[in-house]
Amino acid sequence: MFLSYIPQLLISGITIGGAYALVALGFVTIARTSQIINFTQGEFVMLGGVITFFFLQEGLPYPVAIFLAIGLVILIGFLIQLLVIYPLRKTSILILIIATLGASLFLSHTSAVVFGSLPKALPPFSGGKPFEMSGILIPQQNLWVLGVTPLLLMLLYLLSHQTLLGKAMEASSTDPLGAELSGISRNLMSFLAFGVSAGMGAIAGIFITPIYYTSFNSGTLLGLKGFVAAILGGWGKNSGAVLGGFALGIIESLSVAFIPSGYKDGVAFITLLLILYLRPKGILGSPFIDSRRW
Amino acid sequence: MVEQSQRDFRKRDFLYVVPLWLLHLVLPNPVPHRKKDFQKRDLLYLLLILILPLIWSDGHIHHLMVLAGINAILALGLSLFLGYAGQISLGHAAFFGIGAYTTAILTTRYEIPPFFAFWASAFVSGLFAYLIGRPLLKLKGYFLALATLGFGEMFLVFVKESYELTGGVIGIFNIPWFSIGGFVFDNYLKQYYLIWGVLIGLFLFSKNLVRSKMGRALLAISSSEEGAASIGVDVTKMKIGSFVIGAGFAGFAGNLYACVMSTANYETFSLNLSTLIVLMVILGGMGNLYGPIGGAIFITWLMDVLGSYMEYSLPLFGVILILLLIFFPEGFGTRLGMRFVYLISYFPRKRRRDEGKIQ
Repeated sequence: MFLSYIPQLLISGITIGGAYALVALGFVTIARTSQIINFTQGEFVMLGGVITFFFLQEGLPYPVAIFLAIGLVILIGFLIQLLVIYPLRKTSILILIIATLGASLFLSHTSAVVFGSLPKALPPFSGGKPFEMSGILIPQQNLWVLGVTPLLLMLLYLLSHQTLLGKAMEASSTDPLGAELSGISRNLMSFLAFGVSAGMGAIAGIFITPIYYTSFNSGTLLGLKGFVAAILGGWGKNSGAVLGGFALGIIESLSVAFIPSGYKDGVAFITLLLILYLRPKGILGSPFIDSRRW
Repeated sequence: MVEQSQRDFRKRDFLYVVPLWLLHLVLPNPVPHRKKDFQKRDLLYLLLILILPLIWSDGHIHHLMVLAGINAILALGLSLFLGYAGQISLGHAAFFGIGAYTTAILTTRYEIPPFFAFWASAFVSGLFAYLIGRPLLKLKGYFLALATLGFGEMFLVFVKESYELTGGVIGIFNIPWFSIGGFVFDNYLKQYYLIWGVLIGLFLFSKNLVRSKMGRALLAISSSEEGAASIGVDVTKMKIGSFVIGAGFAGFAGNLYACVMSTANYETFSLNLSTLIVLMVILGGMGNLYGPIGGAIFITWLMDVLGSYMEYSLPLFGVILILLLIFFPEGFGTRLGMRFVYLISYFPRKRRRDEGKIQ
C-alpha cells in the first residue's frame, strides 16, 4: 500500500535535496579555498529567507527584496570572515570550529531579536496550480529550486575553471605556500570565498522559504545536513556536493515510508556516521582525502 | 628587528607583574608534571571549597556553585580526551544526557535508589562511548569533531521521538533527591557538598591517571599519533580508554544533574552545551586538570550574568565567546603563566645577553 506514496516522497526528497545541495556547495566553496569548515553556512540560509521576508513586509517589490537580501547576506559573510576567521587564522582546528559555532549562535539569536522569532514563509515565486503527473503533484516552487541548483553549479564551475580568480582560490587551498609565493593573498581569497558562499546560502534560503517555513533556529540543522551532504558526495568537490545533496534528500524522505517520521532528522546523521566509517572520501572521492583514512 | 623590539621590557609590563605575582602565589601551577604530587595550595583550595558556601550563604550562589560543580565534572572528563589526548569531541552533552536519562528512568520507573543509579549511569554512558568510539575514533581532526557532533544530534532526535522511554519533548519529572542510606540531599548546601565531593574524588582519579602510563601515552598521542604508535603505544586502545572515561564522568554528572534538578529534559543536552564544555576546557588550558574546573566556574557565572539580559543573552554570549577565543586561544592560565615566566626571567636574561652569553 505504501508503495503508492513513494513517487510523491521522491519528489519532495529531490526538492529538499536541492536545498541541501545549495548549502553543501557553500561549505565546499569555503573549504576549497581555505580548508575551513564554516558552521555559519546554515545561518546564511536562514538569513536569506528572513531578510527577504522583512523587506517584503516593508513594501518592496519581490525581486528588489531578493537582491537586497542577497547583498546584505554577502556583506554579513564578509564581516564574519573579517571579524571571526581572520583574527583566528593561525589557531587550531578546534578553536575555529568553536568560533564559527559561536558566530552561528550569534547570528541566529540576533535574527530572533531583530526580525522576531515566529516562523516565516515567503509567497511562491510563481502562483498557479501544481503540475500533476499521473497522480503525483509537483508544486511549481519545487521546479524553481531544481532549476537554480544546476545554474549555480554551472556558475561555480565557470568561476573555478574559467577565471583567474577561481584558479587563485583553488591554488590557495591545494598549496598554500606555493600560492603565497606566486603572489596570491590567502586572506583575500578566503574573504572572497566567504562572500560567494554567503551569497549561495542566501539564494538557497530564498528559494526554499516558500516551501519550508524559516525561523531563527532552523539554520543550524539545515547547515549540519548540508555538511553531511558535502561529506556524502565527496568532501571538496562541487559535483560531489550536489550529488550528495540530492542523495541525502532522497534517502531522508524515503526513510519516512519505513520509520516513524519524527526520526527523519536522525537519518542524516546515521548516514554521516556510516559514510565516515565505510568510505570517508565520499561517493565521488575527495581531493583532500587520500586513500588513507582520516 | 621586530623580534628584538618584542623582547624589550615595556613600561606597562610593570602593571602586570605585581598582580601576576600575586596570582601565581594562589593559582595552580600550569606545568603538568611536577615532582611533588600535591602542594600546599591544594590544601588551600580544599579549605576554600569546604568553607566558602558557609561564609557566603546565599541560595543563588549555592545553586550556581552546584551547576558549576556539575559543569566542572563534565569539563574534567572532556579534558582527559581533548586536553590530554588531543582529540576533538562535540558530542559530550549526549553522554551527559544518557547519564541523566538512565537515572531518570531507573529511579522513576523501577524505583532503584539514586545511589545505584549513580553507578549505573556512568556504566551506561561508558558503554555507549565504547560502542560509538570503536568505529568513530579512527577519524581525525574535523571529521572526528563532526562525527561526534552527529552522534549528539542523533541522541537528541532519539530522545525527542521515543516517547515511551524518555517522555519525548516533555521529559521526565519527579526524580527523587540523591540519597545515601537514608541521608537525603534535599537543599542546595547539601547538594553542593555532594557534588564537589564527587568532583574532588574524580579529580584525584584523573590526577593519578594523568601521571600513570596511560596519561603519558595520551600526551604522546596528542603530539604525534604516528610517533606514539612507533614507540609501542596502543593508540586505538588509549583513545577509546580516555573517551570511555570521559563519558563515564559525564554519566556521573548526568546522574547528579537529574537528582538535583529532579527533571530530565532534552533541551539541556543540545549542541550548545557541548560547545560550552569544549569552551571550558579551552579557557582552562589544554593538558591541565585545574583549568577546566576554573573554566567551568567562570562559564557558569558568565551564563548566569548574561541570563539577566533576557533575549539579548545568547547574542551577547556569541560575541563574548569569539572575543575570548581571539584573546585567550590557549586559555587564561597558559597565557598569563607564560607572560609571568617571561617577565620574571627578563632581568636575568637581559644580564646574560649583555654579557654576550645568549643572543
